[in-house]
Amino acid sequence: MPNENLINRLKAIVSTYAQNKEALNSINEETDFINDLKINSANLVDVILDVEEEFDIVIDNDAMEKMLTVKASIAVIEAKLSEK
Amino acid sequence: MIGNDLVDLYCASIESNWKRKGFLDKLFTTSEKTQIRSGENPFLLVWKYWTMKEAAYKIYSRMTGIRSFAPVKLCCTLGEHTFGTVQIDDLKFYTCTEMTENYIHTIAGLQSDQLAKIRIEIIHYSGELPAYASKNPACVSHHGHYLALVY
Repeated sequence: MPNENLINRLKAIVSTYAQNKEALNSINEETDFINDLKINSANLVDVILDVEEEFDIVIDNDAMEKMLTVKASIAVIEAKLSEK
Repeated sequence: MIGNDLVDLYCASIESNWKRKGFLDKLFTTSEKTQIRSGENPFLLVWKYWTMKEAAYKIYSRMTGIRSFAPVKLCCTLGEHTFGTVQIDDLKFYTCTEMTENYIHTIAGLQSDQLAKIRIEIIHYSGELPAYASKNPACVSHHGHYLALVY
């Protein structure tokens, strides 16, 4: 799987908030935070803040808008890491 | 088209920490943050604003087909009593919020006179989420031990 390391680090973050643990076990690029993992929308902000801390990046509002899936989040993380 | 959102205050106090660094900045506009910080009960206003944004977003995303996590673009203004508005782009939503000891529930519509016509059913439950599909609600919200249906 591409980005396996990034996905694992992201998985560790979302596992705190995911209510669907089965979907968490089969997490992949297509996984949707709300529809699949059943993360409460009020906790999406915690996912974003945790990602900022874990990867030491700043996620602006334009980037945050897209972060509803693993794939979109990986893209944002990779883009922000490459700017460093 | 109508929308609603409910926050179970007990769960919100456990699951979220509004005082977390960056939390308010990612969710609220400058004006909303000023109101929250200067208010008597920041915790309640955080969740009131949040339910207003979510209730409006549910209509917005159905109307436009857009899914996004852009809470700062949904600008809340408090009106008289329980009323308020939420503006995103050139769309304005009208809201009405019920606050109890246990939960905050906001309904939203595109016209202010829609709000009085909305029928609300709030179900307190423990264990499994009750089945509600056969009730055919226009919008649904559940959080903690509450299920809110609007028709």
